[in-house]
Amino acid sequence: MKLSINKSRSLWWAISSAFILAGFISMVISWQNPNIKAPLRPSLDFVGGTRLQFERDCTKPGNCDQPIDINIVREVAKEQGLGDSSIQIVTDRDTGGQNGISIRTKNLDREQRTNLQNALSEKVGTFDQQKNQFDTVGPTLGSELFRSGVIALIVSFAGIIIYLSFRFQLDYAVFAIVALLHDVLITAGIFSILGLVLGTEVDSLFIVALLTITGFSVNDTVVIYDRIRETLKINPDRAIADIVDDAVNQTLARSINTTLTTMLSLFAIFLFGGETLKNFALALIIGFTAGAYSSIFIASTLLTLWRERNGETSVVVTDESIDTSAGN
Amino acid sequence: MQRQRSLLILILVLIIAAITVIATIPIPLGLDLRGGSQLTIQVKPSADIPKITERELEGVKKVVEGRINGLGVSEPVIQTVGTDKILVQLPGVNDPEQAERVLGGTAQLEFRTQKPNTETQLLAFQASRAELKAKQEELRKSTDKAAIVKNQEDLQNSNQAIAELFESTNPPLIGKYLKDAYGEPTQGDNWNVAIRFDQQGGELFANLTKNLAGTGRSIGVFLDNELISAPTVGIEFAATGITGGSAVITGRFTPQQANDLGVQLRGGALPVPVEIAEIRTVGATLGKDSITSSIYAGIGGLTLVLIFMVVYYRLPGLIADVALLIYALLTWATFALLGVTLTLPGIAGFILSIGMAVDANVLIFERTREELQAGKSLYRSVESGFYRAFSSILDGNVTTVIACAALFWLGAGLVKGFALTLALGVMVSMFTAVTCSRTLMFLAITIPAFKKPELFSPNLPTSNKAEVA
Repeated sequence: MKLSINKSRSLWWAISSAFILAGFISMVISWQNPNIKAPLRPSLDFVGGTRLQFERDCTKPGNCDQPIDINIVREVAKEQGLGDSSIQIVTDRDTGGQNGISIRTKNLDREQRTNLQNALSEKVGTFDQQKNQFDTVGPTLGSELFRSGVIALIVSFAGIIIYLSFRFQLDYAVFAIVALLHDVLITAGIFSILGLVLGTEVDSLFIVALLTITGFSVNDTVVIYDRIRETLKINPDRAIADIVDDAVNQTLARSINTTLTTMLSLFAIFLFGGETLKNFALALIIGFTAGAYSSIFIASTLLTLWRERNGETSVVVTDESIDTSAGN
Repeated sequence: MQRQRSLLILILVLIIAAITVIATIPIPLGLDLRGGSQLTIQVKPSADIPKITERELEGVKKVVEGRINGLGVSEPVIQTVGTDKILVQLPGVNDPEQAERVLGGTAQLEFRTQKPNTETQLLAFQASRAELKAKQEELRKSTDKAAIVKNQEDLQNSNQAIAELFESTNPPLIGKYLKDAYGEPTQGDNWNVAIRFDQQGGELFANLTKNLAGTGRSIGVFLDNELISAPTVGIEFAATGITGGSAVITGRFTPQQANDLGVQLRGGALPVPVEIAEIRTVGATLGKDSITSSIYAGIGGLTLVLIFMVVYYRLPGLIADVALLIYALLTWATFALLGVTLTLPGIAGFILSIGMAVDANVLIFERTREELQAGKSLYRSVESGFYRAFSSILDGNVTTVIACAALFWLGAGLVKGFALTLALGVMVSMFTAVTCSRTLMFLAITIPAFKKPELFSPNLPTSNKAEVA
């Protein structure tokens, strides 16, 4: 079986464009949504506020007999002047019991927090102090976090462009970045849709995920590029489309296997890892899949198109200085 | 062959060293895993100090340190972050309220007068306080919480008793009148602490010193109601007091002590407001649940990868698995050696790096298969498999490290942990892929039983099978 990726490249581009477009539409809708007001549903990390998480102490007799009634919790929050908070009942994964409450509100100070906790405890049962979780993030800190995340993304893009144009050539580097942007946009797009549909929030770990996706998916692209460069050196006169098709096919087993082994670890985190890591693993699963796709179907086809338009042979033959992998 | 043997010995030594390191140095767990509170304190500019510099931040940090010592927490971490923030980690503190209350306010520095006829009492109290402080240092290294709390109470009582021996001047001489304080060397090995007041402070200070000169009673320098220094004033100042707004505290300080006191005084003099910008508290058992599930995830992921490699790549797969286990050992040992604090994202980085560590082996084996299928001999195939795959492995890993560097440089807290563990993992994986897998592979093909190309690649054309190297 041999894939001729360059024959049907408009199809691959159409698939990617459709995904990215869907993401963009969702981002616009999110932006219009008065509850979100951002392309992706931001978590506490970025907008600031207080998140409280309580869990009832089920070792006490009678404490957990009835599931927590969300309406009672809403009632209590309203009494405390926190009517617009988002409140969720957390179901325990192991026991299936509904004994946890997660509340997100505006910034609460110490006293307000204690009042809320006491009022809730009175209505729904004693909480296990050992399982309480509070997060309070000031609004300035959140925006700072966001800014530094975006800067980190830009810096790593720049670093990768420089490294790749040094090791390969500028056009390789540019298309590798196009493929990276593709992966980042698809991941962000799908999370934007998830934010609309399931209320999935993006936190600072999401930015970490995006950066890991960049590091990992460029890895994939580089392996194919490496093959293209090697073949070009031996056969400078062959049509670039053939060379790229061959390179993709020769590295296909590797691409599939590496993606598979990484996915095995990621699914393990997704299924068994703690709650915090779930969305993180999901972002990586989406991003790595997009990354494997874009390396094969986007970065290489774009490179072919570019070289076809610009006369492929002359560029490559003269380029001896960057080659470090001379065959034995 | 000589080279293979010495590499093999090197690998063995590394494995033994790694196991020793893992067994002796425990990896500290981050707050998200062990429970506790993390506070970020933002230092804000004020009308008097429009820009926070490193010097101011250092002063505020000192004040914060003093306050945290007063909380009686074991193993606190206090760091300055960026240009205007201080990060405080309080492991095991579930209830951040006390911390919030204590850490939130502006520092209070005050110069007070010792009450008459309390000299012997002060000496006794100071001695017992010094003892309690030494004991506290000792206790802080242990995990005996009850003892720490008890000691803390004793210390507070002792501080209270000392404070009662002093009284404020009228009007009080407080931190806002202090312009600067710093350690300065004198002749010999001793250091002094120089202090400077503004004009009004200078007058108040002259008054205060005039009253105390020659009496043997001391000036009580209090920071957040705790006595940090108690210098006496010589008889020669009895007429006018120490005028001009400058003074020197002498006392056979070491450079370190002088500097510390200077920073403490400066911090107390700062009229900069501090604000708690972020608090994250994780209950102790919540963290434990996370550890358990993350360990399941780690073992689960690793096992699946190991199985996949043997099924798909056969003998080389098995070798890769051995290399992968060595990788896991070495990486874990590196974390322990470098004192990496393990956080939840850190564990994710580690698990992820296991998946990625396989990539180098996959690249090499795919290449070996290709060469075999092209009809090359086994030895040549394995050799060029390693040789040809190397540039891909290098490029791929360098780009990942670039992304990690960006994360580490610009990220904060948890994010840094992830970047560090992932980058370390990637670097160790390059080492194990290139040395361990390689050495073991060449070792394997010297053993006649393993010298069969079909063990390296299924579906070889029959013509190739006959041609064993």
